[in-house]
Formats: sequence, structure tokens, C-alpha cells
Amino acid sequence: MRNLTKTYGTDPATSVTALDNVSFSVKRGDFVLVVGSSGSGKSTLLNIMGLLDKPTAGTVRIDGTDTTSLSEGRTSTFRNTKLGFVFQFSNLLADLTVLENVMLPIQIAGQGGARQYAEELLSAVGLRDQSRKRADRISGGQAQRAAIARGLANRPTLVLADEPTGNLDSVTSQKVVQLMKSMCSKLGQTFVVVTHDHQDFGRVDQTIHMKDGSLIAGEMREVSV
Amino acid sequence: MDYRLRLARRMLFNKKGSLIGAVLAVTVGILVLHVNFVIFQGLYDAIVRDITEYRNGDILITDESALIEKSDITIINWLSRIPDVDAAAPRFSATGEINVTRSGNLVEQNRVPLLGVDPLQDIRASTAHKTVSEGTYVYARNSIVLGSNIVDDLGGVRLGDSIEVGVVDRWGQDQTRRFIVSGIAKSPGGQGLDYTAVVHIDTLRDMLDRGGYTSSIMVKLHDPATAESVRDLFLQSFPNDDFKAETIEESAEQSLAGFRSGIAMINMIGYFGMMSSAFAIVTIQMMLVNGKTKEIGIMRAIGARRQDILVIFLMQGILIGLIGASVGTGVGLAYTFYAKETKLSFNNSLPLEVSYDWSKITQTALTAFGLAVAASLYPSFRATRMLPVEAMRYG
Repeated sequence: MRNLTKTYGTDPATSVTALDNVSFSVKRGDFVLVVGSSGSGKSTLLNIMGLLDKPTAGTVRIDGTDTTSLSEGRTSTFRNTKLGFVFQFSNLLADLTVLENVMLPIQIAGQGGARQYAEELLSAVGLRDQSRKRADRISGGQAQRAAIARGLANRPTLVLADEPTGNLDSVTSQKVVQLMKSMCSKLGQTFVVVTHDHQDFGRVDQTIHMKDGSLIAGEMREVSV
Repeated sequence: MDYRLRLARRMLFNKKGSLIGAVLAVTVGILVLHVNFVIFQGLYDAIVRDITEYRNGDILITDESALIEKSDITIINWLSRIPDVDAAAPRFSATGEINVTRSGNLVEQNRVPLLGVDPLQDIRASTAHKTVSEGTYVYARNSIVLGSNIVDDLGGVRLGDSIEVGVVDRWGQDQTRRFIVSGIAKSPGGQGLDYTAVVHIDTLRDMLDRGGYTSSIMVKLHDPATAESVRDLFLQSFPNDDFKAETIEESAEQSLAGFRSGIAMINMIGYFGMMSSAFAIVTIQMMLVNGKTKEIGIMRAIGARRQDILVIFLMQGILIGLIGASVGTGVGLAYTFYAKETKLSFNNSLPLEVSYDWSKITQTALTAFGLAVAASLYPSFRATRMLPVEAMRYG
């Protein structure tokens, strides 16, 4: 991420700068935390990293691609093939089963073997026996684990998690954190996790601290993800 | 199954209220057109049927100069050799005055249309005799069948009453003759002989001094579809006469033209009804899209392209259209079946001539389906315009 700035509104008098010239890099396979209090800009940063939002200025380079210059269609494809998302409220599609939710990114990509790999992932997150249930019929912890499986379904380069434990009790939070960490080391995928409470995560490869839209800690490295 | 179809189906079927609402909208749109068709086209066809059976036949032969001079026997014999012709009967039309006397005193007087028929041939070419609700059809030279409206106008003439009928003959002389009322005719819908007095054709010819003349010859065919070819053959075979031969559509044109525009108008209203169904679908689809804002955001976040979202909601429109068109057509056909089997009529009026017009049924179903899909276009397009981050934030 280089010189990322995100300003909401065009009137200088009323506009809000959510990100102010943020630059940092993440090493492939690292487990990275972005921490900060509410309103510090960490979710904005994650949205821009996940190509869900565009920066006002600056560039995001992932796996050698300058994602800020991608067209609408290529952005979708990039999100589908290179990125995985884990949201705070799991955000599984309630109309589908757990298995179908995990299969979805693979099917959107038009790749084969969706069912087999989704079942493998569900086994890995300990939800194989819940795969036929509708996504809104499982517990919050199970839903979050299913969301992690969905986030990994397309073997993404980068998994972005926005407060993945924010809605879970402490025991379940620990399980989810361990799961993400073990997936990170097992599959070699890079995780960038936004959280306001990094105590749950223990030791990680990198922690980026944010305050008022700026980094207060973290290092600038050459882009290597 | 394509994941988009699966999602479209699940999203739709999990919102049963919206699904039922949308399907009902299409169903009602189709049903309105079916009911319109059954009633108004049924009424139109019933009138055509009754005019054909009671008055004009499948082909009506007349003469440019009002009366046919050529012998009706000659013409009917010629027609009887045509394989497509089932029967033919001569008729003579005139106007007369009916005087009703009781105990020698004139109690009622009325001008009425007179129709002379050949009883033996008429019952083969027409079903007018079946409308005689009391008594019998014309069976003798001095018997008269009165339409029920004439009976009412004459103050309640009864069977067996003797009435006097007066006409002005071809020389301008008044001619009168007494008749015995042998029957009273009343047809459902009034397209029969309800306003006519029917006598033997030879008696009427005698009274008018028009021996051998005929006003018209009604021709009944085995298959009405052959009317045009029989008409053309007839006209070609009598090139030196001033005959007019018209199919039922031509001979009844005046009576039916207004009705036809009425049907077109009613159908238009029906199609407007279908348009309002389409608006209902737009509203329901918009509700579905708004209710799935977050899901759209999630889909977009995990890589679905705008066209994938478009396809999902268009598939919902297709599903609504398919189910609605099937249910609507099913219910419409059930109503048509009921109307046909029960010979549906309103207030004991003429029974509707109900038919299954498959091209019209297909056209209605396809139109409803097309409208349902078209009605989904804008909501689907709206769904594609949502930004993932906004959709997830506000969904």
C-alpha cells in the first residue's frame, strides 16, 4: 500500500479524511493484524485493500498488480481469484447451505471441483457434519468458521478479515483465531486481520497500528505480497 | 445447476410472500384476458352462431335487386349437388300488420316483420324451429309462429288464437289473411325469431302476388370453413344473374362490426390490466432487490460480476414469469372449461360459444411471461449498480 488516502466528500470544509497517506507492505504468508480504535480507518483500509472501495489517492499493489487501475470487471475477477474475505458477522448467504456458501467463490470463478474442495475446507474447519444445513441454522462460531472456509475457497493470495471475532464469545474467538492461524501456516496464505482487540491473536508476524487514519506503528517495506 | 439459478430460486422461494404476490399478479393478468376472451369472444361467437343458425346460414344468397327471380327449386337443387352443402332453404321477407280481434272487436294492431319459410327445407337448414318454446313451427299454409316480443306487443296472444295479417301486395293493394297461432318463438339472447312473425313461404308469396320469388336462400354447410370456396363456386356458376352470395362474416358484418371493436377495446383493457400486473412485479422485484442488498454486496465482495447479479435477478423474473404464466394459463383454462361445459350464460341470455383458441392462449401466456421478465429488467439493473461496500454497510 503506497500513500493511500481516502477522503469522503468533496467540500474541504465538510470532507472527512479516513485514511491519510498510509503506506506499508505485507510479506507473503504473513499473519498481519491491523489494530486501532473505532474510527481509526482500519475498516476503510481493509475495504480498499479488498478492492471494495477505491482510494482517493495512492496505489494498492497485490501480487504485482496495481489494483487501483483495474476496470470494474477485472476488479471483480481479481477479488474472486486473489482475495478472500472474512467478515465480522460471517455474512454467509442465508438462502444457501453451508456447503453451497463455501462452493460459491469457486463457482463464480467458473472452476470445477467446487464441491470436493469445499468439503475438504469444511472438514478442515470442523464443519463437515454441518455442510448440508442452511447457513442461518448454525451457531455464530460455526458460521464464522464457515466464512473462513469460504474466504479460502479460491486459494486466494490474500485473506482479509474484518473483526472476525468481534461477534463471538471468548472461547469461540480463540478457536476462530487458532483456525485462521493454522490455515495461514498450513496453506501459506497471507492474512490481514482488522481488529480492535489484538490480545486474542497472540503472536503474529506484523501488527499495524492505526489512529485517525494514519499509521502509528508498522514498517514500510517493498511490496512483496 | 448453475449457482445463479440456484440462488435466484432459493432467494425467491424463501420469500414466499413476494413469490405469491408476483405469481398472483401474473395469474390475475392472464385470468382477466381469459375471462374477457371467454365472455366477449364467447358472446361474439354465440351471436355469429345464432345469426348463422337462425337467419343467414353459412352462406346467404340474395339478389342485387332485392328479390331473387330465379326459381328457388332450381337454385336449391344446384346447391344440393355440391358435396360441401348440407342443406339450403328459401326465405321471403316482408312487412305486415297484425290485427288481433276478440269477439269481433279489434284489440291490438301492430306492424311486424314477416318471414316466409318452407317448413320442410327450413328445419334442415336452420335451427329456428327449435326456438319455438310453445306449440309447433309453421306446419300449414294458415299457421303462424309469433316471436315472443310480438306476442308481448300484441297484449298476450295465445296458441290457437286467430289473427289477421295484412300486407300490401306488389300492386299496392291491401291483402289480408287469417292465421292460427301455432307457436311462439323465443330464443335465449333474442337473436332468433323473437321479433318476427313466421308464415309459410307460399302463403306470403300469394299474399304479395310474388309467386316464385324469393328474398334469400340460406345455405348450411357441412364445414363452415368451406364457405368462401362454395360462395365463389356459386357466383361463378351463375354469372348472368345478379346474385349476391355472402359468407356469415360478410352478411352479418353490419351487426358484428360494432361488437368486434367492442371486443378489441375490452382486450385492450385486459392488456392494460396485464401492464398493471407488470408494475406489481416491478414493485415486488424492487422489494426483493432491496431485501437482498446485503447479499448482493457479499456476492460482489466475493467476486460476482455485475452481470452475475443481473442474471440472478433476471432469472427470478423468468421464474416468476414461468410460474405465473403456467398458473394463470391453468386457471384460465379451468375457467374456459367450466364455461364451455356448463354452456355459461348470464341472466338466461344466450349461452356463450366458448372455444379454446390455442394461438390466443399461447400468445397471452407468452405476453405475460415476457412482461414479467421485462418488469424484472429495471430492478435487476438496479441491483447491479450497488457498490459492494455500500451494499454491505446498509444491507
